[in-house]
This record gives sequence, structure tokens and C-alpha cells, in this order.
Amino acid sequence: MSTVVQYILSGLAIGGIYALVALGFHIMWSSAKAVNFAHGDTLMIGGLLAVYFLAAGLPLALACLLAILVGGLFGVVLERIAVRPFLGQHGSVGWMLTTIAIGIMVESVATIQTQGYALPLPSPGIASSIQILGAGVYPQELAIPVVALIAMFGLRLLQHHTLIGRAMRAVAHNGAAASLMGINVFRVVAFSFALAGLLGAAAGVLVAPVVQASSTMGVLPGLKGFAVAIIGGITSAPGVVVAGLAYGVMEKFVEGYISSAAREIVGFSVMILTLLVFPQGLFGKREVMKV
Amino acid sequence: MLPETSLRGTLLAATVALGLSATGAFAQQEPCIGNSVAVTGPAAFSGQAIKLGAEIAIDEINAAGGVLGKKLKLIQYDDAGAPPRGVDNTRRIALADKCIAVLGGFHSTVALAQVDPIHEIGIPYMGVWAANTKAIENGRDPNFMFRISAKDKWVARFLVDEALKVSKSGKIAFFYENTGWGNGALPDIKAALAAKGKELAAAETFNWNDQDMTPQVIRARDSGADVAIVWSLDREANQILRSMDKSSWKPTIIGAWGISGNLGELAGPLANGVRVMQTYSFQTEQSATGKKVLAAIEAKTGIKDPKDIKAASGIADAYDAVYLLADAIKIAGAYDWKKVQAALYEVSRDGLVAPYKPAFDKKDPERQDALLPQYYLLTVWHDGKLIPFKGSPYDK
Repeated sequence: MSTVVQYILSGLAIGGIYALVALGFHIMWSSAKAVNFAHGDTLMIGGLLAVYFLAAGLPLALACLLAILVGGLFGVVLERIAVRPFLGQHGSVGWMLTTIAIGIMVESVATIQTQGYALPLPSPGIASSIQILGAGVYPQELAIPVVALIAMFGLRLLQHHTLIGRAMRAVAHNGAAASLMGINVFRVVAFSFALAGLLGAAAGVLVAPVVQASSTMGVLPGLKGFAVAIIGGITSAPGVVVAGLAYGVMEKFVEGYISSAAREIVGFSVMILTLLVFPQGLFGKREVMKV
Repeated sequence: MLPETSLRGTLLAATVALGLSATGAFAQQEPCIGNSVAVTGPAAFSGQAIKLGAEIAIDEINAAGGVLGKKLKLIQYDDAGAPPRGVDNTRRIALADKCIAVLGGFHSTVALAQVDPIHEIGIPYMGVWAANTKAIENGRDPNFMFRISAKDKWVARFLVDEALKVSKSGKIAFFYENTGWGNGALPDIKAALAAKGKELAAAETFNWNDQDMTPQVIRARDSGADVAIVWSLDREANQILRSMDKSSWKPTIIGAWGISGNLGELAGPLANGVRVMQTYSFQTEQSATGKKVLAAIEAKTGIKDPKDIKAASGIADAYDAVYLLADAIKIAGAYDWKKVQAALYEVSRDGLVAPYKPAFDKKDPERQDALLPQYYLLTVWHDGKLIPFKGSPYDK
């Protein structure tokens, strides 16, 4: 019993990260029909900068906040230089290459800076573990899925009750029509990338105390977050969050009852099977492309 | 089709011509050592340590007049932990730079990939870190792969001996990373235990960057083991420690030297008491050579306290490696790959890490390794620093 609880709790912690990353992909895709493939590196930017700001003498909370803001700024800059130039050209996928390239560059700079070492980010959330039904977990880990759910509901409120949120939905629905209605599509897209960047960096700050900040900390969450976004249906925010949490829990059970080596094999097989049965993802809406 | 064929013909001719001219140049090599190590990637710190140790030795040798009247040079390459780059670097060091030897780096997968090109070309290779058994005991004759570092086969015996010393139940769990290094160690650990009539209670694996190891830890805990041997790097060992903390399991932990980087910093108090095998520490009573090297490290890096030196084994092994190569060149009397390879078996010296008398033995394939297991050192993490186990608060 305690083992099962342990797998569920540990899985929710990992899944919460996938969910936060996937939510970022959802936001970007909805407005731009493009994503930042360096989104995983936004986690690393958040985590590492928090460590460096802290080392520079800032208080922990301020260091984390600043790191998250830089993550948002990274989203804006990346959208401007690596995504927007390609969006005007019909069918261009140049943004795939440019965003991946920027991700690799950022990662390289981080490796030079850290010499490959992982760096600790202190947090009261990992001072000691707490026991729940015989399973041990750090409070920090419990916070991750909770934050993912808050982010999901927050996004919903934003989309339904604010002007910029409604503009985001309009752009997602039909960019050209939204533009004709007087919405500055570029500004909405930039805002979406900033929001995704903020979420990504926040995920990095949240997870860094548990996994340590390192130049490669965002690689796997970035990849899995994208996979989860596709499984869940990238057009549905609740879909990607639920899929993220479920994927994390599934991984732990595979590790626990089969082996950790089988994790990626089972995980990605499930992903392919899901896509074969639900081509739009579990909760995604069918996208109508007008030619 | 015709133009392409003739183009290919020209290219082929050019390649052959180039090959011939290169063969002509083989007779005499340059007074340089090519350092192909990881300067970027997850083990970038290792490349820095090797470079530091090698440079200190080269500076000393050059200050004393160099080797055969020529000053030695270090040419730095980055393999980034990627085997194809290690292979490419090997060819460049041998064929473009015409260096007398290759210094090898951190990653066993790279060292294994270098075995073929090293022997194809016939240039001596001196490993100073990667500990994979088969990289050096590769069955070649003549064997151009030498090493001053730990050897997994011997490390496994060393760790198993230490583990059985502290284990009350005699049940040992093994955690190993899912890489060439980790998977290569599993049979070595099993063999070392079998030699003592024991079996592993649990063998658990994990991948780089894994964020949580509770499933593995729970299985190992439930196997009844009271000692865990850990074959991983700092980052993953930290996850193992945290998962043990969450699962309320406190076995004695003994690790191969992958966890000698910054585990103390990452895991904080959880790392206290974690034992690590090392080849060298600057915190024991230092020999005259040790004091000289410490002074050089301070001059080059500004590090004053020996406790702050990271990857001491890498620095010290690289330092000795350069000296053994310099000795071999002197004995060979020429900058010539073949002669230096043969001369390495005649080298005998008191090194920083250990006495090498002789350094290598041509008759014993196990003795392409200069550092014998009796010179391995047990250290322990204590309050963020790695200190010698002997005399530590954990030495009871």
C-alpha cells in the first residue's frame, strides 16, 4: 500500500513538471500555431538564474522571482527573433530549427558557466520529508502538481475574464479575422510566449531544489512536456495538465513494477498508441485547416 | 555519370597521395601531447582537472630543460563526452598535430571508441580517468592503451571488500547508471561478490537526469540490504540519497569515484558519511612532490585550501601520466610512437599518486594499468567536503 502511494506521489511531482511545460506549449501553440522547442531550456534558465541571483546576495524569494521574469523575457525575445520572422510565410517551419538552435546555444553557454556541475538551490521545501500513508515526499514535490493545477485554472480565468485573454482566444480561433477586428496579433503572440516563458521558468525554479539546477535539467522535461502536450491534445489546457500528471504517475509505476530501463519504451509506446487512436490527442479539438 | 566517376577517381588518387605523404611523416613525431577530454558536457569539470594536472607537469618538465632538448606542449581538444568526437580528436592529434601521445579523459564510452583508431595509427594512449576495464585490457598485442587511473575490475573488488567490512546482514544492494560505465561495472561487482561467496541482494539501474529514484530505492530497501554500492555521478547520487531519505532507509553508502565532484554541496547533510573511492587526495600528509603540486595549483587557480580542490584524482593522475610519458620518451631516445610504446614498459618512478615500479608490465595484460589497487584511497563526504576516511568522524 505504502509503495503504491509512494509511486503516485512521486509520479505527481514529476508529472506536475510535465504538465507545467505542456501548458506552456499549449499557450504558444494556441496563439501562434508554432512553439518554442527551446521551452525545456526555459526551465534551466529559471533554475540556474535563481541559483546565481541567490549567490549574488539576493534573498531567495527575490532571486526566484527575478529568474522567472527573465524566463518570460526569454520567451518574448525568442518569439521576436526566432519565431515571428517565419510566421508570415505560409507553411514555413523555419521556427522549428531556429528555436532548437537557440536552445542548444543557451544550453552550451550554461554548460560553460557551470562546467557541467549541477548546482543546489536551497529551499525550505526540501529541509525534511513528510510521511503520507507510509510514503515519503518533500513538501516541495507536493507543491509542483498543485502549482500546475493553479496555473491551469488561472489560465482559464485569464482567457475568459480579461481583454488580453479574450484576444488570445480570438487569435487562436482565427488569426486573420482577429486582426481584421483590430486585435494586434503580434502583440498577443508575444504575450503568449512571455506567459509560456514565465510558466517554464517557474517550473524550473520549483523543481531545481529537488533535482538541482544544471545546464541539461530542461532537456528531458522539455521533450516529455511536448510529448504530453501532444497526447493530451495541445489545444486543450486541462487536457495537457491531466495528461502530464497521468504520464508522470505511469512512469513511476513502470519503474516500480517493470524496470527503470523500460520506462521510456513503455511511455513512448503509449504515446504512439494514443495518437493512433486519437489523432488530435485525448482532449484535443480537431483543427480545421482552410486551404 | 562520367564526370562524377572521374571526380571520384581524382578524390581517391588525392587521398592515396595524402596517405602516402602522411606515412612518410610518421617517422618523427612532435614534442606535444594531445589532450582529448571532456571540456564541455556533463563532465566538463573533468577536462579542467586533467588539463590542470598535465600543465603543471609540463611546466615543471620544461623548466628543467624539456625532453630530449625540446619543450613539451599540451594541445587541448574537447570530446564533449561523445565517442565520435573522441575518435576524430585521436586522428587529429596523431595525423595533424603529430603528437607523441594522447591523454584520455573522463568518459569510458569515449575511451572504448578510441581503442580502434589508436591501434590503427599506433600512437600511445595514456588514460587518466575513464576506468572501464576493457578499454585498456583490450586483447591487442602490441597494446597501445595505457592508464594511470582506477580500473573498474579492481575498483569493484575494493568497494565490495569495504562493503562486506561494514555490512551486518551481508546483503549488498547495487545502484548503477545506465551507461557504458555503469553497465560495465555490473559484471565486475557480481564477480567480486562471487569471489567472496556472495550475491547481490538488489541491482538497480537509472538514467542520467532521472529526477526520482524511489521505486529503485524501495526495491533495494525491501531486499534487506544494509549497504548500498553506488556507481553513479554526483547529480544522480543526490537523487538516490534523497529517495532514501524519503523512504526512511539509511544504509551505509559506498561509491565509485563518480560521486567525488560536488555531492556534498548537492545533498547537504544527507551526503555525510557517504564513502567514496579515490586515487588521490590533497588533504592527507603530502610528500615533497605533493607540496610542489599544491603550490602550483594555488599559483594557477588561486585555490589555497586543499579541501576546495575538486577532482583531485583527475589532477594527480594527469600529472603522473605526463611524467611517465616524458620518462618513456627519454628512454626511447626519440619522439617515435613505436619506440615510446615499448619504452613505457621500462619506466620506473616514484609518482605523486603512487610508486610505479615498474609502471607497466608487458608480460601481464592486467598491468597496462600503472595504479595498483593497494594505492586506492577511501574518502568520505563530511559537511560538504571530501576528506580521507581514515581519522574521519565515521572511522570507528
